[in-house]
Amino acid sequence: MSGFRVLVVDDEPQIQRFLRPALTAAGYEVIEAGTGAQALKAIATAAPDLIILDLGLPDMDGKEVVKNVRGWSELPIIILSARDRESEKIAALDLGADDYIEKPFGIGELTARIRTALRHRTREDGGVTEISVDGLHIDTVRRLITRDEAPIHLTPKEYDLVLMLARHAGRVVTHRALLTSVWGPAHADDLHYLRVFVGQVRGKIERDPSAPAIIRTEPGVGYRFVGDET
Amino acid sequence: MADSDRHREKRADPDALLALAGKQERGRLTVFLGAAPGVGKTYAMLLRARRVKDDGGDILIGLVETHGRSETAALLEGLEMLPLRSIPYRGRAIEEFDLDAALERRPHTIVVDELAHTNAPESRHPKRYQDIDELLGAGINVWTALNIQHLESLSDVVTQITGVPVREQIPDTVLKKADEVLLVDLPPAELLERLKEGKVYLPANAARAADSFFRLGNLTALRDLALRRTADRVDDQMVDYLKQNAIEGPWPSAERLLVCIGPDALSEKVVRIASRLASGLNAHWIVASIEPVDRAVADQAGERRLDDTFRLAERLGAETRRVKGSDFVEEILRLARREHATQIVIGGRRQPFPWRLFRRSLPDALMEKASGIGVYVVTGDDTMPPPTTPVKQRPLALRLARDVGVALATVATATGFGLMIGEWVRLPNISIIFLLAVLVSAINSGYLAAVVAALGSAVAYNFFFIPPFYTLTIAEPHEVFALFVFLAAAMLTGGLTSRLREQAKVSGERSVTTQTLYDYSRKLSGTAKQDDVVWATVSQLQGALSRTVALLLPDQGELRLQASWPPDTELGVSDMAAARWTYEKSEEAGSGTGTLPNSAFRFIPLMSPHGVVGVCGIQQDGELLEGTEERMLNAILDQSAVAIDRARLSKESLRQATALEGERFRSALLASVSHDLKTPLATITGAITSLRELGDKMDKSSRDDLLVSIDEESARLSRFLANLLDMTRIESGSVEAKRDWVDISDVINSTVERSRKVFPGRAIEVQLEPELPLIRGDSVLLGQVLFNLIDNADKYGGAEPIRIYARRDRDEVTLSVVDMGKGIPEKDLEQVFEKFFRRGKPDGRAPGTGLGLPIARGFVEAMGGTIRAESPAQKRKGTRIILRFPVEHMPVEAETMS
Repeated sequence: MSGFRVLVVDDEPQIQRFLRPALTAAGYEVIEAGTGAQALKAIATAAPDLIILDLGLPDMDGKEVVKNVRGWSELPIIILSARDRESEKIAALDLGADDYIEKPFGIGELTARIRTALRHRTREDGGVTEISVDGLHIDTVRRLITRDEAPIHLTPKEYDLVLMLARHAGRVVTHRALLTSVWGPAHADDLHYLRVFVGQVRGKIERDPSAPAIIRTEPGVGYRFVGDET
Repeated sequence: MADSDRHREKRADPDALLALAGKQERGRLTVFLGAAPGVGKTYAMLLRARRVKDDGGDILIGLVETHGRSETAALLEGLEMLPLRSIPYRGRAIEEFDLDAALERRPHTIVVDELAHTNAPESRHPKRYQDIDELLGAGINVWTALNIQHLESLSDVVTQITGVPVREQIPDTVLKKADEVLLVDLPPAELLERLKEGKVYLPANAARAADSFFRLGNLTALRDLALRRTADRVDDQMVDYLKQNAIEGPWPSAERLLVCIGPDALSEKVVRIASRLASGLNAHWIVASIEPVDRAVADQAGERRLDDTFRLAERLGAETRRVKGSDFVEEILRLARREHATQIVIGGRRQPFPWRLFRRSLPDALMEKASGIGVYVVTGDDTMPPPTTPVKQRPLALRLARDVGVALATVATATGFGLMIGEWVRLPNISIIFLLAVLVSAINSGYLAAVVAALGSAVAYNFFFIPPFYTLTIAEPHEVFALFVFLAAAMLTGGLTSRLREQAKVSGERSVTTQTLYDYSRKLSGTAKQDDVVWATVSQLQGALSRTVALLLPDQGELRLQASWPPDTELGVSDMAAARWTYEKSEEAGSGTGTLPNSAFRFIPLMSPHGVVGVCGIQQDGELLEGTEERMLNAILDQSAVAIDRARLSKESLRQATALEGERFRSALLASVSHDLKTPLATITGAITSLRELGDKMDKSSRDDLLVSIDEESARLSRFLANLLDMTRIESGSVEAKRDWVDISDVINSTVERSRKVFPGRAIEVQLEPELPLIRGDSVLLGQVLFNLIDNADKYGGAEPIRIYARRDRDEVTLSVVDMGKGIPEKDLEQVFEKFFRRGKPDGRAPGTGLGLPIARGFVEAMGGTIRAESPAQKRKGTRIILRFPVEHMPVEAETMS
């Protein structure tokens, strides 16, 4: 599973100091950048397959880097952040970052996120038409959802919601992204829609709606469709 | 209109219901009304009190005058009695009703005899009815007794009937507002019988008056008054009942009276008559005065009389208006129409003959123009009693005498001058000199002097200059004519000139007033601080009124003297009581008012749109303010109330802004601390998990490096925590520096050694002056300080080595730590010693705590030294931190011991 090149953008030398040997041992090639400018230069010249980005950089805001990269590339971006910077994290996700991980984190958690993000890239490239998780099967061509072969009836909006989450399986999808894609930009802030619909959908697709295993809540950020791994 | 009235729903009049609601909160007032002393009011009251007591009611005897009558005293037995308050007054003790004790006890009902009683001079209220009003306000029911003669509106009638002046009076409104009036009636013949039997108590000094008072005729008339009053009340209650219960009319009296008064003595009578008329008609009545816009120098006595008359009108239950206008008739009619008056009551005196030809009297003019409004004229007579407030006549008489004297002197001068030049000048021109004398008199002393001068001139002119000389006869007829022309011309010009003078004086005064107010408002507009406003107000008032002025504002819920002029003014206990009363009730109190008049000050509430903001005290020992002063006072107080209010609001908003700033600081602080704690934690967690999960895929050097980083980050974390704890110690004041003898060189060497281990890549150069004196201090704290400074220099110091110097500088030892990093901008040099101050954003700067320098300062100061930062240090680069410690003389023993 190796060969991927990961760019670590962080100005704290001690973070770089443990990420380099750890990611190298996990089979990735590591390149480092300490500032936003260095990061953008490295993205353009060293062609990384994934970026791990700290939001607090000495020369520019991490969000600026995300915005800049998204202007010309769909390169997966994982945000490193602290809990007290919730709103910046969500803003970065809304700008197109793929996932986030909170400091302090275990290396296993980080490598899992990296794998998901990289797989997602290949999946989108190949154009996925069928998704299966834990007995739940989604056929995007026929717009059919079945659980253990039994069809599940979803309203069109519910189906769109599930599809949006499933297409980004394993990654967090922000409230805003869900609302904009399912209900349209005018409803970007109508959080209560989501609460109601997610509740209904869980009732239909989860084995135990009170302990959801497929659609997980990321408090304050969004929802995550649990991928087919782990 | 009538149609719509008839079709209106049967709904209770909201005003009537509101009035009822207001009544329900207050205690109920029951008045036992009698025609004369001795009819048995107190007896009846106590009899009823016993009944209530027997039924288990909570009734307290506040004060009862038994006048030594045994049958009355017997009734008191078994009833709870409130002890009287003893007030020392001029060497004697006066027993008075104890209002505060009654309020404290809070009975359901209290009996307080003698409603019309005047309290002892040191009491809170001058009159007992005011005490009772306070009891009622506190929700206590009150029973009291009253003789009809004490009713203010009847006092002149009673005086007319009995020939005995009534000294103690109560406003009619007190009786009007009573919830219940019980008439205690005794036929006059029986009363006289009781009097003869000695059953009616009379004080010795009143015995003579009593002879003329207790006559059958008088008593019958008084009884008639009492009965009629009671009947009126029953009528009123009937009407109230009809209104409250929406029973359709005929409600009597849509009558509204407009009563016009002026500064003359007749006005008081007009008001009394109007009051009786209004209560007879059951009419609403408004008392108004029309004051000329360009009123010349205010007639003080008149002004005061007008104020008194207005006060009387208010006590009798009238509404009052003061209107300014030039055309009396027009203004009265305009007011009458606006107030929907049906009748105008006005005082009128038959005008003396000559004026009647030129001018119609006011009533005549009114009657001509008032269509559909009745005009009721109260005629004046010459038997008017003198005004109640004695008007100081003497100064006026003196002034008149002076005016006349000046006029005569002027005429004499003119005569002398005329005689002197008479030899050279032709006769008719002499009259010009006299005309000049008249003008001079008019300008100097006003109209009266002008008239005197004109008459004097005519006489002198005739006597000295018209042949035959030195007689008052005139030979030539044309000289007679000339003299009269002269007299007319002199009177006319004198009159005109004196009016000009008055106007100039008034406009001068007015411009002074305007200027004062303008200055004041300009002064206020520049000040936003409450203190400044307060002092500006006090000094302004003192300047305008020339009296002692005090300003009190609430401070933490307690009214306090904030400023006064003269500044060392002190307020006594009774002054403070009056001030507090004013503040709590938003009503004037103190000298010259109805509440606590013993205070030397009159206290006026400062009212802003948000309520009372404070109280202003003006010293007025008997001498009231003049009209213009009063207006000035009001204008200044209005402005200062608003300014104080504004100052308070701005203070409040400043406090909120500061709080907001503090909030921002705290959240920045939290972000900073959280970042500094998390970065080492993230490194440690990451390194540990990497080793555990991927350790076997790494080479040995990578594994070792991770382990070293765990070690280093743990040390960093522990230093950060130690710093936080040190800071807490410094802030809580629990740092105790020892006062040992410390060898600085020793401390430097050991700390540098330790630092080299912690910062292995960092070069540290040390330069110590030989034979440094010892200092007094704590070697552990000093070591900590030095380590913090080295730590800082390592973080911010760039690549060049850190240099440490120590040398003796006269009677100090200085220790400096120099790095060659970016340095500190000048504006931040002091701030670097502030807690959590760090340059740059929380992210993206060298990891630190922002506590190193503040801790250094805390420790150094605890040891009696100083710390300072300098930047740039050398060659426009770097930072120098300098510590200074005083060199103390070492005791001899210490020297010999070492």
